[in-house]
Amino acid sequence: MLATQGLMKSFGGLIAIDNVTFEVERGELSSIIGPNGAGKTTLFNLLTGHLQPDAGNVVFKGKDITGLPPYRICRLGIGRSFQHMNIFPRLSVFDNVQAAVLSREGKFTKIFAPAKDMARSETIEVLKTVELGTKMLVPAGLLAYGDQKRLEIGIALALRPALLLLDEPTAGMSPEETAGIAGLIARVVQYQGLTALFVEHDMSVVFGISQKIRVMHLGRIIATGTAEEIRADDEVQRIYLGEEL
Amino acid sequence: MTNQQTTIHPLSSPIYKLFGRRWLWAASAVAILALLPILVDTSWVSVLCEILILAVAASGLNLLIGYTGMISFGPAGLYAVGAYSMAVLLVQADVPFGVAFIAGPIAATFVSLIIGWFCVRRTAVYFALLTLAFSQLIHTIIFKWYKLTGGDDGIVEIPVPEVLFSIEHYYYFALACTLGSLLILWLIVNSPFDKALQVIRENPGRAEFIGVNVRKYQLIAFAIQGFFLGFAGSLLCGFSHNVFPPIANWTESIHIIIACLLGGMLHFVGPFVGAMVYILLDKFVTGFTEYWSLVLGIVVIMLVLFFRGGIAGFILDKLSAQRS
Repeated sequence: MLATQGLMKSFGGLIAIDNVTFEVERGELSSIIGPNGAGKTTLFNLLTGHLQPDAGNVVFKGKDITGLPPYRICRLGIGRSFQHMNIFPRLSVFDNVQAAVLSREGKFTKIFAPAKDMARSETIEVLKTVELGTKMLVPAGLLAYGDQKRLEIGIALALRPALLLLDEPTAGMSPEETAGIAGLIARVVQYQGLTALFVEHDMSVVFGISQKIRVMHLGRIIATGTAEEIRADDEVQRIYLGEEL
Repeated sequence: MTNQQTTIHPLSSPIYKLFGRRWLWAASAVAILALLPILVDTSWVSVLCEILILAVAASGLNLLIGYTGMISFGPAGLYAVGAYSMAVLLVQADVPFGVAFIAGPIAATFVSLIIGWFCVRRTAVYFALLTLAFSQLIHTIIFKWYKLTGGDDGIVEIPVPEVLFSIEHYYYFALACTLGSLLILWLIVNSPFDKALQVIRENPGRAEFIGVNVRKYQLIAFAIQGFFLGFAGSLLCGFSHNVFPPIANWTESIHIIIACLLGGMLHFVGPFVGAMVYILLDKFVTGFTEYWSLVLGIVVIMLVLFFRGGIAGFILDKLSAQRS
């Protein structure tokens, strides 16, 4: 589904991504973990066109997407949620998701048709999936933090991506909220047959739901495997020294 | 075949679909505007014309400022392109009035596509300064291209069809043009296209990652505002029968921007209300003091500090708070 080959990216003298090659298979729910500054978000930005790699390439569904602008990569079927809150704050919850549906359906070019009732049932369905069905008319910026994260996932889902990239979907959440979001992701991926890749800081989330885990450190992927294999890996243990795996 | 009910339920009529419960307000406003020339003195009809022209310009600009979140400092340039295109065509090329009238907004759209192509490559303050620079460039061209524009002398005695010569007749013509413009803008701001503009305003980075080609939509919005600014320019040209370089100057831009700010940029009726209050304030204040700009300065300060939503914003927010 998605493959990278020898990705490199440096900022000034700092090598943020160092020769990263990996592959995500169709239907797989996998994750990338790593300490702060490992390069996880930078890697996502390279995959989605927000940054251009210095070398290497990204192939999605057999097509080289290296260097394409983000909106084109999005239209090819990669959805993304962001680590920091990234919604449309003054629009209602409904409008946030409806915009994504309209965009996917190519309806943004309609300039004289009323938008109010367009894509209504699908928007509501997505909002129910992310458990925001009762808050549709609330301005998104006024939602509680956990709900904003749900909305972000909702926006990404409304694009019906073939591949969903989730950047720390549970960052800054309480343990209960974290469990809720993790359950939501696992459910959605299973029901909709999505391929999902997420980066996480929270070990419990990653080990609970990922089929495959990759560990990043200082811009490199240093280990790949199942939860058991990662737990047993010496180098991973050394990096996460002191943390319970 | 089933026996379908043929009576149209009032709630599904096209007018209701278009305006919702607001249709009654819209209809009352149109009725008042249509009756006003009968009720007021002729000198006031000319003031009403000025209001309509500024309302068209400000409503067009607001598609960019309010709905797309791009602050332009250069609406006057495009406004002048509309007015001067019409004036030059009527005086120098002797084309029919209707053709020249439509040529104004078309020329302004064309120019805004060129200017916009450069401007949308920058954001925020750099975008604003680029629009200002291009607008001043247009001002300079108008000022210096003596052969075409008459430079400082402007273009005077622009021929207007006899039927539009009386101020009352011109008012109804301008009113029809204004209502037509507002109707088109209303359709636009309720369309999926405007949803794209709104997500760009709220969060351009995220907009791009729901698949919006941000620059393309910004450029289209820029061209649409150019069309309506040019249209207002044409209306001005037909109204005053002469055009002078100051209409392209940055001071004119300030008038249009303040009309948006005064009325409220986040409401459709904001720019219209703003244009009305601004022109009336101008006529009223200059009646008893020469320090009009002092009053204007205080008004702007008050707006920015205490009424960020403008007049329409303030009233409509109060009303909706009362309802809930």
